[in-house]
Amino acid sequence: MTVSAPIDKLEVEAITIEERSPFQVVLRRFMRHRLAMISMAVMIIIFAITILAPYITSYKVDEINVNNYFVPFGTVDPDGRVHYMGTDNIGRDYYSRIIYAGRISLTVALLSVLISETIGIFVGAVSGFYGSWVDAILMRFVEFMLTVPTLPLLLIISSMLLRNEDLIPIPEAVLNFVGKIMLLNPRDARNAVLIVVVLAGFGWLSSAQLMRGTVLSLREQTFVEASRSLGATNIWIIMKHMIPNAMAPIIVDASLALAGYVVAEAALAFLGFGIQDPVPTWGNMLSATQTYMFDKPWLPLLPGIPIFICSLAFNYIGDGLRDALDPRLKL
Amino acid sequence: MTAYLIRRVLQSILVVLISAVATYVLLSFAPGGPLAGLRQIQQSGRFQITEDDIARIRASFELDLNLWVRFSRWLVGVPTGPVTIGGKEYFADMVVGCRKPIEAEVINSDGVPEILVVGCKESVYMKDLVGRRTSRGILFGDFGLSWRILRDRPVSDLIESRLSKTLQLIGLETLLSLVIGIPLGIYSAVRQYSTFDYIFTTLAFMGSAMPSFFFGLILILLFSIIPKGAGLPYIPAGLSESVRDYTIPMIGDVVAGSFKDRTLHMILPVTVLTLINIAGWSRFIRASMLDVLRQDYVRTARAKGLREVTVIMKHALRNALIPFITIVVFTIPGLFSGAIITESIFAWPGMGRLYILALGDYDYPVAMAIFFILAVLTVIATLLRDIIYTLVDPRIRLS
Repeated sequence: MTVSAPIDKLEVEAITIEERSPFQVVLRRFMRHRLAMISMAVMIIIFAITILAPYITSYKVDEINVNNYFVPFGTVDPDGRVHYMGTDNIGRDYYSRIIYAGRISLTVALLSVLISETIGIFVGAVSGFYGSWVDAILMRFVEFMLTVPTLPLLLIISSMLLRNEDLIPIPEAVLNFVGKIMLLNPRDARNAVLIVVVLAGFGWLSSAQLMRGTVLSLREQTFVEASRSLGATNIWIIMKHMIPNAMAPIIVDASLALAGYVVAEAALAFLGFGIQDPVPTWGNMLSATQTYMFDKPWLPLLPGIPIFICSLAFNYIGDGLRDALDPRLKL
Repeated sequence: MTAYLIRRVLQSILVVLISAVATYVLLSFAPGGPLAGLRQIQQSGRFQITEDDIARIRASFELDLNLWVRFSRWLVGVPTGPVTIGGKEYFADMVVGCRKPIEAEVINSDGVPEILVVGCKESVYMKDLVGRRTSRGILFGDFGLSWRILRDRPVSDLIESRLSKTLQLIGLETLLSLVIGIPLGIYSAVRQYSTFDYIFTTLAFMGSAMPSFFFGLILILLFSIIPKGAGLPYIPAGLSESVRDYTIPMIGDVVAGSFKDRTLHMILPVTVLTLINIAGWSRFIRASMLDVLRQDYVRTARAKGLREVTVIMKHALRNALIPFITIVVFTIPGLFSGAIITESIFAWPGMGRLYILALGDYDYPVAMAIFFILAVLTVIATLLRDIIYTLVDPRIRLS
């Protein structure tokens, strides 16, 4: 017998499977969830619009066009600028306000998620990992906070904070930073930051519980034991093994929480205990124009639509992520 | 079991107490209150308000007492004066508050002048409390007096007049949600992946993402404003009954305050609450049914030849309902909070609306009373849930 082909040629003929990173696997599974993909596209568009807010609007949010209340859609003002969605009850351009409101509402939701998930991850990880009295104290506290009726308590706290703005000292740098993102002056940004504090102050409770549960099961895995036998410290294990491995449920939770925060912020504003009027948010615009429901129903409906769309889209994205990251988690 | 129950009841009382203290302290920090307007009048200089007037008004709202004394009087109705034991008075000279505080204007960090209390000219002593009007304490069912909404009338009167309105709404809504939501969830689970299931899950998903205030507005527009403008039969929206008689095309005359009137006004708010609730509940039932239907005992039941109806209703449903109990029991207090938003949209004169009104109008005794009731309801619901859980599911033991 003669050797007919060199070894390296044989290899080419062997069956090869394209190697996929876990990220690619997740991405492919996510792409299969059609509604989640549509939602993703919708949210990207909405984010793009709000980021471009100063370039696609020609009015300032608090610019009052005196004596031009309730002008109809598409009215052109003396300067040649167009009120695409007319003006509101005190003559402010409705289109510009809705776009800017999106920027503020979405920033509030994103910041709240960021803060609450970060606190939740650390409290949950520490509580689940160390167990014993640390766990007992932290989790009793979380359980206690969750027994208290949330919305009424949120209302009490935000009503108190809004009337007593200096009660919680907020560093100037934070106000400037948030003000830059939301295109507000630091004075108005304080109001938004307080709402973030209120929302995140309650939001971290459930993420902490979720994280704790995940860490409890991870703790018993053999790779943790292996790491420990190699001399890893607790902090190393938490940072290198616990948190990265628990990311899947946390990401799903975060995306569902985003939907929750958009609605919660709007609900607080709707009830009059959220971000206050000169600063536009979808919730307070809806609330302020609710009285004109009977003759100008588009005024309250227009800001309501993006709230619903964002809430639905974040929910679908969360659903898609859950399918993609961990099929077993599916309801 | 008994030991567990006792421990849980004690824990619950602690939760209620802590949340009462926390919210009381929070609200006592909130500015406004009944004195805010007074200070403005005083500064405008149009009326002569002497220091004594202010002291008297402060006393009538108990604002001259220290926080802990006020709280204790609010919670349990003591102290009402010096303690008399064996004919001897104790603590008579204890300072419990300040009648005339020394105020100073300070410029705060934002450059806004602020009035701070820097000292006390005249203290209130324990013996001064004798003869003061006092509540028996919220723990004993006396919620004190309203500050602003119904000035000097008992808070309990206010709550009584509103409670029945909220209960009507919530009672009907819970009933409808159960009657409609459970069968929907079961059917959708049994016919998984059918067209019905797809439509149902999509709608339920949208329903749980829908903010109730937006949903309410859409319903008002669709069923009240548009048909009314078009001369079609419409459903009245706003308040729980109308102020004057009105006529609806095809339905006829409606007398204000009549049963018909009140029923018509209930339709929209109940629909909002029910649909949103059904969306959540039936999704839950569906998930838990799907879980149970895959269990071995369901397969066994099918294998021994039971009819499908029996398998689903007796073997599967009963087990699927166990986790659902958690949700249902817990909605009882949750519904009050849910009703806050819905009542606000429809100007429904219930507890939720009262709560918003009280917080917005600085009527803190009313707000505190409602919050206290809510906290108690929530804690009772939690306790109830755990007890029912063990009763229906022998696998779960309390320890």
